[in-house]
Amino acid sequence: MAEFLFYALALVALCGAAGVVLAKSPMFSVLSLLASFFALSVIYLLMSFPFMAAVQIVVYAGAILVLFLFVIMLLDLGHMGSKVEFSTAMFRSPAARIGAVVALALALAGLIAVQRGALQQAAGAAAETGPRDGLPQLAEALFGRYGLAFQATGMLLLVTMVAVVALAKRDRRKGPGSQGAQGGER
Amino acid sequence: MTEIVIWVVKVVVVWGALLTTAAIMSLAERKVSAWMQYRYGPNRVGPFGVLQPVADGIKFIMKEELVPAGANRLLFRIAPALSAAPAMLAVAVIPFGYTAVIAGHEITLSVADLDIGILYILALGGLGVYGVILGGWASNSKYSLLGGLRASAQMISYELTLMLSIMAVVLMAGSLDLRQIIEGQRAFLDWNIFYQPLAFVLFTIAMFAETNRHPFDFAECEPELVGGFHTEYSSMRFALFFLGEYCAMTVMAALNTTLFWGGPSVPFWPDAPWYVGVVAFIVKTSFFLFLFIWVRWTLPRLRFDQLMRLGWQALLPLALANVMVTGAVIALTAN
Repeated sequence: MAEFLFYALALVALCGAAGVVLAKSPMFSVLSLLASFFALSVIYLLMSFPFMAAVQIVVYAGAILVLFLFVIMLLDLGHMGSKVEFSTAMFRSPAARIGAVVALALALAGLIAVQRGALQQAAGAAAETGPRDGLPQLAEALFGRYGLAFQATGMLLLVTMVAVVALAKRDRRKGPGSQGAQGGER
Repeated sequence: MTEIVIWVVKVVVVWGALLTTAAIMSLAERKVSAWMQYRYGPNRVGPFGVLQPVADGIKFIMKEELVPAGANRLLFRIAPALSAAPAMLAVAVIPFGYTAVIAGHEITLSVADLDIGILYILALGGLGVYGVILGGWASNSKYSLLGGLRASAQMISYELTLMLSIMAVVLMAGSLDLRQIIEGQRAFLDWNIFYQPLAFVLFTIAMFAETNRHPFDFAECEPELVGGFHTEYSSMRFALFFLGEYCAMTVMAALNTTLFWGGPSVPFWPDAPWYVGVVAFIVKTSFFLFLFIWVRWTLPRLRFDQLMRLGWQALLPLALANVMVTGAVIALTAN
């Protein structure tokens, strides 16, 4: 039963991921991503790790995707279709083709690894380190043993955010004959 | 076998109570507003108008269902369900009493006791906004779109305050399990309201914003947006949006009771029988449901920039400071 559920959910997650790339309207890309996140969250539940499942929904579905939707609704209203449409037009660019080939190769490598029993090894290692759902253990690992890496990741995200803001601002002001400059500051 | 029966009975009772509360609230909203404005309110259907919700239900079902031209049919149709489902699921982890003993069976009074009960409610609360956003976007109407946009900005902003005010209580209880949180508040003087008054105020303000209620009802905002995200809806789908709103209000009121007011704890009667505890829980929750209506017919609506300033510049720093001080006190007194 659990195995069947896992494969069904994995299929949903993969279809959702494919939908993100292939959907014509960005709105449906976001909704596909939502479906994918949900499937992942239920997979965490199947692994008896409810904390991770809840955090996945709180952070990704509840906050980040809502921000995506917000931005899409603000910026991109032209793609308002009354049907769900998919397109493969993006694969005309060589970069996208290379990306697709790399993704397929990675998926193939993963399949081969599963075939050779990599998952059993990983599951054995996880079983040795104790119960996976111990919230105190997770907190100790996150803020104790991996505390420095955790903080560094936070700093990295902050720096990225500041950099993105700086880049976006500079483009708008100095862009050659950009419409933003003519329109004046808001 | 008996376990399954007990479980089914609990599910039926809790969901029945939730939907009944929503129906009563739809009447209470009009009755209380009438009472505050020296009117009678609905008084034609049944004695004192108590059958008005039934009449409303029949009317909603009989109405024609319209889908606007150019609307995204799929999303337009599922948006009301997305808006109503999270609140109906969230009620499952609310403990409405301690342990009851009926015919020799010990029954914990909640549908499900999750170790991460609070996170479960927050996760579902975060999903409630999808119904509003998608309903607003799929309607192909500028009023609906603006309502959906405002709702998403508002709910993201106030969710932070809501979570941080809950975190202070979680720090006090040392658990994300709602049952642990009410067990820690059995005695009257252990109620979290006495230790976390600031968190209570912040939670209550954020509770209004999260359920899109007055004075933060920018998602609908009749004078500016006609009906906001549900302008284009009719018939049962329109009713489903309202059902979702009232269910979310009930869950939030019950959560407020659980987190700050001892849940089913009865003041000065620590060994009260379980049914007195359930009654205490219902009374406390009813007060907060009344507060929703009371505020709606008393306060004027904020402006949208005021709402954002309040959320980001006043409530969020206060909530952060509250969590820091609570954490520091707990860390210092732990040794």
